[in-house]
Amino acid sequence: MINTSRKNLVHVVKYRWWWMLLTTILLVPGIIAMIYSSVTYSNHSPMKVGIDYTGGTILQYGLEQKLQNSDVAKTRKNLEQAGIENPYIQILNVNSDQQKNTKSNINSIISIRTKFIDKGSNDQEKISEQLNKEYTNPELISVSSVGPTMGKELFKNSLIAVTLAFLGIVAYLSFRFRFDYALAAILGVLHDVIFVCGVFSILGLLYNVQIDGLFITAILTVIGFSVHDTIVVFDRIRENLRYYSKKMSFGEIVDASVNQTLTRSINTSLTTLITLLALYFFGGVTTRDFVLAMILGIAIGTYSSIFFCSMLVDFWNDNQNKAKVTA
Amino acid sequence: MKNKILMFWFIVAVVIVSTILIFVKPTKLGLDLVGGSRLILEAETTDSIAKITPDVMNRLQFAIEQRVNKLGVAETVVQQVGDKRLLIEIPNVTDLKEAKAFIGETAQLEFKKEGKAPDGSPIWVSTGLTGQDLAKSTLSTDATGQWVVSLEFNAEGAKKFADLTKALVGQQMAIFFDGELQSAPRVNEAIYGGKAQISGGESGFAYDEAERMVNLLNAGALPVPAKIVEENTVGPTLGADSIAKSKKAGIIGLSAVMIFMIAFYHVPGLIADIALVIYSLILFAAFKTIPVTLTLAGIAGFILSIGMAVDANILIFERTKEELRAGRNLFTAINSGFDRAFTSIFDSNMTTIITCTILYLLGTSVVKGFALTLALGVIVSMFSAITITKNFMHLIFGTGELKHPGLFGLKKEEIGQSYEATETKREKARFGILD
Repeated sequence: MINTSRKNLVHVVKYRWWWMLLTTILLVPGIIAMIYSSVTYSNHSPMKVGIDYTGGTILQYGLEQKLQNSDVAKTRKNLEQAGIENPYIQILNVNSDQQKNTKSNINSIISIRTKFIDKGSNDQEKISEQLNKEYTNPELISVSSVGPTMGKELFKNSLIAVTLAFLGIVAYLSFRFRFDYALAAILGVLHDVIFVCGVFSILGLLYNVQIDGLFITAILTVIGFSVHDTIVVFDRIRENLRYYSKKMSFGEIVDASVNQTLTRSINTSLTTLITLLALYFFGGVTTRDFVLAMILGIAIGTYSSIFFCSMLVDFWNDNQNKAKVTA
Repeated sequence: MKNKILMFWFIVAVVIVSTILIFVKPTKLGLDLVGGSRLILEAETTDSIAKITPDVMNRLQFAIEQRVNKLGVAETVVQQVGDKRLLIEIPNVTDLKEAKAFIGETAQLEFKKEGKAPDGSPIWVSTGLTGQDLAKSTLSTDATGQWVVSLEFNAEGAKKFADLTKALVGQQMAIFFDGELQSAPRVNEAIYGGKAQISGGESGFAYDEAERMVNLLNAGALPVPAKIVEENTVGPTLGADSIAKSKKAGIIGLSAVMIFMIAFYHVPGLIADIALVIYSLILFAAFKTIPVTLTLAGIAGFILSIGMAVDANILIFERTKEELRAGRNLFTAINSGFDRAFTSIFDSNMTTIITCTILYLLGTSVVKGFALTLALGVIVSMFSAITITKNFMHLIFGTGELKHPGLFGLKKEEIGQSYEATETKREKARFGILD
């Protein structure tokens, strides 16, 4: 028998319905948020999308003074009066501890998002002028601008990339394992992607967090990682089936395999999470949302590979056997 | 054992070569780290040019290259993407607005004469004399001290200009630059010799304005108008800030992972840490040699790959521990630990490489950087986590029985307690099990 002395720490098969319930609890709030967003947002997207996909311009200015949230409303009003349509303003406060490493004396960054500043428009000059009046020595530190047609193309390309990644993984897993394993792994991935998108949808509603090109990159990385985790468990199931299929039931083998790989699954996720947390807290402000998406994805990916995917494989196997018995 | 020692020296050689490469080769940093502008320009059709052909794109690229070179910045990039776009990268720009304005202008110079629209109202009509007939343009001042743009026509242009002025004596002739009327002097007599001046009209030229026009005229007009459809500009302060932060995050992340590995796996953990340092050295040397331009997203990919590189070691050590618990000797346990973990490592890394390939082929340049560094990381980690760690483990632990289970983070009473592995004959031969 496998693991005679060590007790199984988790019971995937026995508490199957509880794991299904937990999965539902994890996913439903995000799904609701996505549906709510699709209905209420003017562009009917399930998450708040940034200029990469809608087109637009973001100007960032570095300021010496610390900004308050009350400055946002004032600046918005002034910009609107200067003739800027619907400016969206965000303030990023730079950690004073980090700032010692650099020579800059920027204490906060004000980020202004407007519609795409096209050739011939002098909106950028207007904004610079207005900020010069309001604050001392604002320094233009970055400009990103995406034309509306570019945005549509980027969006299309991202969807193609995600679809191709899914197909590539299914093809590889079907080739290396069995098709039903591949399907379980893909459902696990879908589970993780829905969770991360759901959380970002909620963050979009509550804190105006927007998704950009990097978000798709994060999702694709999460897909890779989630499959990675699932493969390790499946690989163990495959191996144990070779040796024990006559002595133990399929469910027992699944449970044993999950427990054998449990330390590894958790430790791997921990080391990756450690590096990501370092990036989140000490890395640049611009990649923060990107890192957050990966943190969420890797945490949920570990859960899904342990509980969700192996449960599915066992569930199908059960149903197949029942079908055989009745037939 | 001889093979193992040979392998050890090979690893040492790789480390030395990598270290030398790191010191010798420069690091290529992306625009988001050094500061700079990245623009995507899209060619637009006009009445006369209804289709953007490869020939038009080549001429547009040439004209833009001329202008970008005039900015006097090193390592600029102008390349065609798709069938009607140009990617332009200009590092180290300080005046973001200036560079942009300079690139987008069509710089179409045209001489026009008086004419009548179908409804009888006066309009300016083309004469056929344009910027293409110019030999060169210079900045100078006129008799009153005003800045003017002096023009010198080529042979054909000089003749056209002479004929034109002869025909227009007593009438006004207008000079348009990018569709904007600059001045409309009255022609008093025919002008031979192929020289002319543009004054800034009634208000005159400011120095900057005149200088920009001269530069644009000398660089040549764009064959078709082009507009900026995407821009990413980062000032030098933000870039420096990003580098400092990424360094800090990388060092903290790497150290935390190393501490974790030692705490959990003891001696093998330490070996994995050494492999991890070697991994970072090789990967960094690879970045410099290929060369890979490091961007912020690329650095994130690199730091993420550290976490993934350790994964292979965790898989192997967990497996080795299980084998030791089953009471196997060190040599067998280490070998079968590596061997059995290999399929998992290989399969999971393949899926990461599949996603990276897709990202690289379809992504924007930011995404490409991330995909490339992550894929390289995964490939290098296959070498470092498997070959290097295995070699060190064998050299350090040898072939005897495990006398101090604590070295592996195991308890004495655990040994021989669990996991009855059943191997096939072939596997037994491979792992070196003697029953």
